[in-house]
Amino acid sequence: MLQRFLDPKVLGGISGLDLVAKTVVDGFVAGLHRSPDFGFSQEFAEYRAYSPGDDLRHVDWNVYARTEKMFLKRYRGETNCQLTILLDMSRSMKFGSHGTEKIEYARFLAACLAYMAHGQRDAAGIVIFDDDVRNFVPPSTRQGQLARILHAIESAQIGTRTDFAHPFRHVQEFMRRRGIVAAISDFWESPEKIIKTVAPLRFRGTELVLFHLLDPEELRPALKHPVLLEDLETGETLEVSPDYAAHEYPPKIQAHVEDIKTRAQAAGIDYFLIDTSRPLDDALREYLAIRKGKL
Amino acid sequence: MGFLAPWFLAGVAAVGLPIWIHLLKRHKTDPRLFPSLMFFEKREMSSVKHRRLEHILLFALRTLMLILLALLFANPFIKRDPSAIGGKKVLVIAVDQSFSMRAADHLSKAKDQALSLIAGLKPGDQAQVLALGGRVQALTQLISDPAELRVAVESIQPSDSRASFGELARYIRTLSESTHLPLEVHLASDLQRSALPPGFADLRLDPSTTLVFHPIGQAAANTAVENVVAPQRIFDPKKVRVQATIVSFGAPESKVETVKKNVSLVLNNKVLQTKTVDVPSGGRAQVEFLSLDAPYGFSRGEVRVEGADILPADDRFYFAVERTDPRKVLFVDDGRHPRAQLYYRAALDSSGDSAFQLEVVRPEVASSLQFSHYAYVVLDDIGTVSSTLEDALKKYVNAGGSVMIALGPASAAQPKVPLTDESIGVASYEGREGDRFLNVSEIDAGHPALRSVERFSGVKFYQAIHVTPAKSRVLARLNDQTPLVMERQLGEGKVLVFTSTFDNVMNDLPLHASWVPFVERSAAYLAGSGAEQPVNLVVDSYVELRTADNKSAAAEVLDPDGKRLLSLDQATTAKNFAVEKEGFFELKTASGRHTLLAVHADRRESDLSVIPRETLDLWRATGSDQNVPGASGGESRDKKPWPLWPWLLLLLLMVAMAESLVADRHLRPAADNPDIRKEAA
Repeated sequence: MLQRFLDPKVLGGISGLDLVAKTVVDGFVAGLHRSPDFGFSQEFAEYRAYSPGDDLRHVDWNVYARTEKMFLKRYRGETNCQLTILLDMSRSMKFGSHGTEKIEYARFLAACLAYMAHGQRDAAGIVIFDDDVRNFVPPSTRQGQLARILHAIESAQIGTRTDFAHPFRHVQEFMRRRGIVAAISDFWESPEKIIKTVAPLRFRGTELVLFHLLDPEELRPALKHPVLLEDLETGETLEVSPDYAAHEYPPKIQAHVEDIKTRAQAAGIDYFLIDTSRPLDDALREYLAIRKGKL
Repeated sequence: MGFLAPWFLAGVAAVGLPIWIHLLKRHKTDPRLFPSLMFFEKREMSSVKHRRLEHILLFALRTLMLILLALLFANPFIKRDPSAIGGKKVLVIAVDQSFSMRAADHLSKAKDQALSLIAGLKPGDQAQVLALGGRVQALTQLISDPAELRVAVESIQPSDSRASFGELARYIRTLSESTHLPLEVHLASDLQRSALPPGFADLRLDPSTTLVFHPIGQAAANTAVENVVAPQRIFDPKKVRVQATIVSFGAPESKVETVKKNVSLVLNNKVLQTKTVDVPSGGRAQVEFLSLDAPYGFSRGEVRVEGADILPADDRFYFAVERTDPRKVLFVDDGRHPRAQLYYRAALDSSGDSAFQLEVVRPEVASSLQFSHYAYVVLDDIGTVSSTLEDALKKYVNAGGSVMIALGPASAAQPKVPLTDESIGVASYEGREGDRFLNVSEIDAGHPALRSVERFSGVKFYQAIHVTPAKSRVLARLNDQTPLVMERQLGEGKVLVFTSTFDNVMNDLPLHASWVPFVERSAAYLAGSGAEQPVNLVVDSYVELRTADNKSAAAEVLDPDGKRLLSLDQATTAKNFAVEKEGFFELKTASGRHTLLAVHADRRESDLSVIPRETLDLWRATGSDQNVPGASGGESRDKKPWPLWPWLLLLLLMVAMAESLVADRHLRPAADNPDIRKEAA
């Protein structure tokens, strides 16, 4: 099957997050399933033989026509779910080494998720935070909710540093129904603290997905000369040699990623690492495939 | 230590460039933004440390290069004793042998001083001996042989020339430029003020030259015969007047106001007259002798002043006189202008020394005469000149004779002027009736024949023969541009053409005051037979031996001792020669004329006043700025600047090479640098 992948730089050239989300989501959904109902909540699960007393509305009459046996279609999550997107707008998200900053990539990703939820009539909301909650659109299925979310994403300003504790506590306060929380961040924090902060959500039956966005330069920094690096959030500077960047840093960041992943899995949290040089639709496809398999 | 161009030291400010490159620029580099420094450790890598050390070495080398470059341009030097430079000295020993060094024993003292300098030479030292007179005479080359140098000094004899320190400075400059060696010049001289050149710039010495003065004697009072005015030729001894000027150069501290001096007129070693004169100190006195009973022929005259002083050589002044009979002038006249000979004779007779007698002949007789017996010949508008007469006259003129031609109505009909062959045009005629006349508008007042004629002022010319001058030189013109007096050289002789007559018909010249001077001067000029040559000369003057390149005739010169001065070759080729000492020279020119020359020393040498010390210090300072004013003694040995630039240049090259090696090793990209690659591995 011919598949197109959307370069983040191409997406950056499209004005309007709704158009970006539509371009990304409609494309790969149409290509994979031809089903407008593919989504988080109304997912087909299995067939079950009819037994007396079952609601005839769920009989699959097509199957009956072919086999003259009655089967019922079973769905998972038949009731509408609510999706809450946590978008990190800290200064570290302002980094980008190949034309697309992480914050742009995160905006696109958040817009795509909101679009998908809206498409299957799920309630969707967004929390924009750095070290505090900067904007909050409560999950809703009302008309115009998608536009509100996209506007919130679009108007979000880069903040200061990241602090997960406060935003997640805020989310815990308003989440009364079980739902899905998707956190999009670069997670420049100790894995232990991250998991410790987000895990309480899980206790209420909320599904938690961590989208870990990292620039290729963050994974494999390439330095030709000794340079003075400045921390985007703290302003701290440090002279770094190419030798260190080439040989000592990569194992450390890999260990960091692995640590988060391991701790997330242990806490029943979905973790998905996204290299921002990857096409967005390709990353989403992979994520949905993994999630589907899991579900 | 000093700098010849200290302004270049401002270039040291360029040292800031490597400081900026290595230090400031490095710290001003914009930091590179990174999301988090969580996994970077605050420690420097060994490779960075190592490279930083190497950069310090590179920085030091670059800084040193710039400092060396600035120093190189500033041209530093250190003062060193000239003897320390190569360990050898180059001495130039100049001994003044001018006329003034005859005073007392000045020359022998100067020679002793020179000999003591030679005795002080060390093995390897070089020296040259110069004799300083009117010109600088190098008696040796730069040699190390003291014996040869001593012989050269011993051979120096007193001369009658005038010293010229300007010539000495010029010679030393030339020597310094050709040898490129620091010279130590020792001048043993009486340091006369009169030996200084007119411009102080002529005394300039090269910077590497050290001048050491060895003053001989000191300023002293001196009396001299400064000048004698006497006629060259005597025709009537009773009409002769000899004037002498006695000068007294006083010593600075002398309090004597006037001194009485006996002045004698001596002729052929016989004292004719003696007079006493009061000579003021520092002033002059005139003495006049009113007769000179000289025998026929050349006589050796002398004016002496008696009384001993420090320089007896200038107490006499030589002069030469020639006693002759009045010379005959041949006046060729055809009787057409009877008043012409009257006026001409009257003018000749009225001249002071009665040197000429006029002899009037007809043209037809003239051709049979021996012209060489006459001082010159006058052709007074004789019209047609026979070929015999013309040939005889040409021969006479070519051999050195002179002819004066007056043109008048008879000549106007002729196509050419006799002898000069200049073509005759129409006669320029102005009538007397209307008071129309011409005046002289242009005149060569410096010509010997026209001197003292007062530009013929007031003379009216009514008629002049128009001659077109082709080969002749026009000496005077009328205001209608008609040539009035012309001259042409023919062989050894000359022809003067007067385009009007000598009577008062075509002009009124004989009635004016300028007539007698004109006749007298032109007669003296024409009778001079060749270029007028003075017989009383200053030492180092040049005497003309021949006017044309005539090798067939030999010239001869006998010096005061009777020795022949010219070789056989010089006798036939030399055009002139220099008289180099006082006394009487007998001269026979190529034209056969005998002359007795009296030669005397330049009387500026008699002034024994010494150059002020300040002037000497200034002169010495032109050679070396190390000299301290006041140290005029021979013992002072000044240090010479010794340039350091060759060593700085060598050091700069070495530093530049080291910088290239260090920069190549540490600034090469990692991919090309095996050391860094190894470290990375």
